[in-house]
Amino acid sequence: MQSEDLAKALAPVLGDRVLGVEPFAKTAGRVRFRADAALDVFHAVKETLGFHHLSMVGGIDWVTHREVFYVAWSDALRQYILLSTDIPAEAPHIESATPVWPAANWHERETWELVDITFDHHPDLRHLLLPDGYTFHPLLRSFKLHEPEELEVKKRSV
Amino acid sequence: MWINMGPQHPMTHGLWNLRVKIDGEVILDCDPEMGYLHRGIEKISEDRHYNEVVTLMDRTCYVAGLAWEHLYILAAEDALHIVPPERAEYIRTMCEEFQRIGSHLMWYSAFVQDIGLMTPFLYGMRDRDLVLDLFQSYSGARMTYEYMRVGGVRNDMPPGFTDHARRALDWLSDRFVEYDRLCLGSDIFRKRCDGLGVLKANDCVATGVTGPMLRSAGMKRDLRRDRPYSVYAQLEFDVAVADAADVTARYLVRMEEMRQSIRIIRQVLDWLDRHPGPVLADRLPRWLGAPYAPVGKEEYVLKRNYPKGVGLSSIEEPHGEAQAYVVNEGGEHPYRVKFRSPVFANISAARHYLIGYRVADIPPIMGSVDVCVGEVDR
Repeated sequence: MQSEDLAKALAPVLGDRVLGVEPFAKTAGRVRFRADAALDVFHAVKETLGFHHLSMVGGIDWVTHREVFYVAWSDALRQYILLSTDIPAEAPHIESATPVWPAANWHERETWELVDITFDHHPDLRHLLLPDGYTFHPLLRSFKLHEPEELEVKKRSV
Repeated sequence: MWINMGPQHPMTHGLWNLRVKIDGEVILDCDPEMGYLHRGIEKISEDRHYNEVVTLMDRTCYVAGLAWEHLYILAAEDALHIVPPERAEYIRTMCEEFQRIGSHLMWYSAFVQDIGLMTPFLYGMRDRDLVLDLFQSYSGARMTYEYMRVGGVRNDMPPGFTDHARRALDWLSDRFVEYDRLCLGSDIFRKRCDGLGVLKANDCVATGVTGPMLRSAGMKRDLRRDRPYSVYAQLEFDVAVADAADVTARYLVRMEEMRQSIRIIRQVLDWLDRHPGPVLADRLPRWLGAPYAPVGKEEYVLKRNYPKGVGLSSIEEPHGEAQAYVVNEGGEHPYRVKFRSPVFANISAARHYLIGYRVADIPPIMGSVDVCVGEVDR
């Protein structure tokens, strides 16, 4: 399936909730969708197009805004699809994909703690890789690698 | 009652904590706690040159370093619009298949020891050393190889390597009878493994479980066949499957995978004998970092002029389906690197294959998952 076929298949189901479909790497295509219609898009991609297997969820901090992306696999098409949406950096939140793909559970926990994107109605949004009570989000661009280390060295030498 | 199995527990094979809620011996609930080995590899990658990330890949999964290097390199080459020579692709494929044998033998040794068989552990470790010797002969290292480069591999095979590798394969292919007699012929093994940790194909797909666990449930999904990358489309092999979806079925799948890996490597070795050639692409940008091209053949490309790109690669790693997502925003470092670890998803489904079994069943079940904590925590 090419990105044009993908756009044709999605248009009648989702209408203007899809902002665009473009070719992406070696996948069926990248679907950019409106963040407030996330659950509808997940449902349509899973049930209508048959992408039953969610591979990963991740986030990118673009400083001006943040991007959430989902990669899903279809056994019938033998292809991946990439779903992505932009959300504002001020209050970054999006509906959780766990009702559609239970596999999203841990991936969303990880994205929440590392990229600071809140997943609404997630069943169990706790720290996964970082210690409980950790307030930093290391994969944000504002988190610089060297500063915390230098501070610690200074403390010890005093 | 909730009890902790870990972070220091013989069952964990790494550093993680399995909290289990028990009633007597029966498991009512469980909650894996990860993160003890989190080193922030995705974050560190944003501060490294493209070739320097390869070093981190060996540390991501320390029993399947070359497979993870391959995964990252495929995505990075897509993001940087670089095409490697064909010989390099064959060498990488061979590396990945040898790594699959090495990783599965490591799993075999650790797993059988969990259920109380000491002899197979020694046999597995002995044979894994043959694979490590081969890695050492061309990369110089037995665990952290740093062998692959964006645009190819670091160096070609030493003279006589293919014959040496064939002798090792001859030895390995005769060993499976021995392994099977030690395990499948043992009453202890069958009683501790048959019918345990069942995870049906539907649950596997819903919870994102891949790799030998998924194939042991009768689903014939293997990215090497379904979505061939590198040179897998030119190679002949069968996808190993089993039906029972239990611990024994996962054992059978992994054993068959090793046999198929040997079959693949023999074809690759024949190809390598017939097709000498370069193993690194010419004229690679200098800012890729680390040794990259023959002296005098580097290309001075200003990094701000370099085209942007993204790469998404998926490979069938020894543990399952791994993915890398590399964003090249034109700088000399990747803007964002994201990895999908197969074991991460396989452990996240622990509730589905542990609840209802007994505490003493946890070591064989978790052993059959083949946990590598390095790649879960990254």
